[in-house]
Amino acid sequence: MTDISGGPAALPVPKSRRGSLLTQDALTKRRNAAEARFKAYGAVAITLSMLALVWLLISIISVGAPAFRQTFLTMPIELPEDKLDKSGTRDPAVMAKVTTVGYAAVIQAALTKAIKEKGISTDGMTPKDIAGIVSLEAPAQLRNHVLANPDLVGQTIDFEILANGRVDGFFKGRVTMETARLDSNIKPEQLVLAERLVDAGIMAQRFNWGFITAPDASDQRPEAAGLGVAIIGSFYMMIVVLVLSLPIGVAASIYLEEFAPKNRLTDLIEVNIANLAAVPSIVFGILGLAVFINFAGLPQSAPIVGGLVLTLMTLPRIIIPARAALKSVPPSIRDAALGVGASRLQSVFHHVLPLAAPGILTGMIIGLAQALGETAPLLLIGMVAFVRDYPSAPMQGFFDPASALPVQVFNWTVRGDPGFVERASGAIIVLLIFLLIMNAVAIILRRRFERRW
Amino acid sequence: MNDMRIAERVVDSMESKITARGVQVFYGQNHALKDVDVDILDKTVTAFIGPSGCGKSTFLRCLNRMNDTIDGCVVKGSIKIDSEDIYDPKVDPVQLRAKVGMVFQKPNPFPKSIYDNVAYGPKIHGLTRNKAELDEVVETSLRRAALWNEAKDRLKSPGTGLSGGQQQRLCIARAIATSPEVLLMDEPCSALDPIATAQIEELIDELRSQFSVVIVTHSMQQAARVSQRTAFFHLGYLVEFGETGQIFTNPKDPRTESYITGRIG
Repeated sequence: MTDISGGPAALPVPKSRRGSLLTQDALTKRRNAAEARFKAYGAVAITLSMLALVWLLISIISVGAPAFRQTFLTMPIELPEDKLDKSGTRDPAVMAKVTTVGYAAVIQAALTKAIKEKGISTDGMTPKDIAGIVSLEAPAQLRNHVLANPDLVGQTIDFEILANGRVDGFFKGRVTMETARLDSNIKPEQLVLAERLVDAGIMAQRFNWGFITAPDASDQRPEAAGLGVAIIGSFYMMIVVLVLSLPIGVAASIYLEEFAPKNRLTDLIEVNIANLAAVPSIVFGILGLAVFINFAGLPQSAPIVGGLVLTLMTLPRIIIPARAALKSVPPSIRDAALGVGASRLQSVFHHVLPLAAPGILTGMIIGLAQALGETAPLLLIGMVAFVRDYPSAPMQGFFDPASALPVQVFNWTVRGDPGFVERASGAIIVLLIFLLIMNAVAIILRRRFERRW
Repeated sequence: MNDMRIAERVVDSMESKITARGVQVFYGQNHALKDVDVDILDKTVTAFIGPSGCGKSTFLRCLNRMNDTIDGCVVKGSIKIDSEDIYDPKVDPVQLRAKVGMVFQKPNPFPKSIYDNVAYGPKIHGLTRNKAELDEVVETSLRRAALWNEAKDRLKSPGTGLSGGQQQRLCIARAIATSPEVLLMDEPCSALDPIATAQIEELIDELRSQFSVVIVTHSMQQAARVSQRTAFFHLGYLVEFGETGQIFTNPKDPRTESYITGRIG
């Protein structure tokens, strides 16, 4: 205070500062212009990304939305006993001898009869062409229904069967008379007949629950393909990921943040966790293949393996935000707890963890959402397989073959039939809805539990 | 300096509660506290004064081993409370902290209700057997911290919703709810306005009847107002320690004199 000697030296006043406050000098103008330019860049960047997002959503929704509607034929079908249950025992095991070929004949007969009754002209189409407007899946639908209710044999039932994918595409605008002329799978006459069936009230479009509940279908019958197995598979995997990664991730972050000594080893662990979060997910797929399938002998295509692989992938992505959340709890809270004689563990579990919970949960849900959308590692552990059978209930279900939503999208985009393009986009919509719900939950949790201190 | 009311400087007890001998503290390479010998008397307010970074808070935090939580902090020498060495390996710092309560510089109530804030200590130490006893402890603590009248109708509302001065009194109530024998206060009034400060100071004087209070303060007026004994720290050394009146009116060390007259610090 006393060592300041002499008064302050007079600083030279720059000339520019002597001007009026009412006019901007050159430097101020340049600074203001730079600020305005920067704001403009930001606005342009935001606009571009918003446009890209809107374009993406519009294209996905416009292609995918039709997948939620499907064309069906509803007509009375006679189930003759002499064809479907020659033994007359109504025993499903015996009736199962009749294959879908037998049921196809029943459907063809019913369709011919319905067309005749309604007085629809067929312009001399062959019975095979007429039957061609029905999905290849329809006999299987009818067979499953009859085997489940054997008493229906001998009666005439009103039954709803799938229309062929091309016919369905015609009503959705994907197939036109011109493309039908070039297509060996469908003839223009069949489309004309389909239009007449719609007028007669036999054929109609309705909301397609089958898209969400049905299993996948083979290449020739996109109209029957659904997401049922994929949704269950993804759900099972998310359960595995949640059950494993929440306790492990939270325990690891609490240990590292609150208890671990700060030394070379923990520094190394810290760096490695950060690096693991950046490892390409397909690497985890190879790891899962080597460790869980080849070494541990777990079944391929099983949700348990997918869940384990995704857990490995998700853990670092949970630990990092969880540690950040723990770190953001002010040290004064820890001091307060320790000051009244709480142990380290008590101070963490009574005070720090509740305050960090919203951050930890948000990180957890975002990690889960990433895992839900992950495709690459699942391809390597065989979840890309064609699975028609629903996995059973837990715990056995975790070991049954299943598919997963993103893999199903991948799977369908590879297939030839244009009907699958629509299905793939529809599956993306379903996936996006799930992700949207999870992110909404994350936001709600954050809002609800956010506390000020 | 005119408002230093150096009066009623009666030391009730000459019994030594805390005995520190040759205390050295290192933060890694930094030698923060050098050879400190202090005797803190029972039922007395002892003030630690000194410029920033002189080691007074460090020494205070040694007394309930809060320094243990700082990485690379090493404490040497002996600190005895009732002739038991608190740095003995057999001592659990958790038990020690139940005996030596602490109030921090910034009011730091838990983001819980006022009731839960005060009840937390007794709960984790198992001091009460039932809800009625706990209610009583909470009420007594809040009354002693002069917060009962303001808080009795809002025990369930969050402690963080109180004003700064009320929050600090809540922290004092929380610290005394575990019935400590020593109460450490690290600049308890530095974040408070003069009225709240006056209330806390009055409170400290009342608490003296039950506890041995150690207070770190930047305000020499405060040290003069509330304490019976004062220790002056400078650059990690304990420069002078004695009766508050003597320190402020007749300091023996020239450094103490420079500090209290405002020439260093």
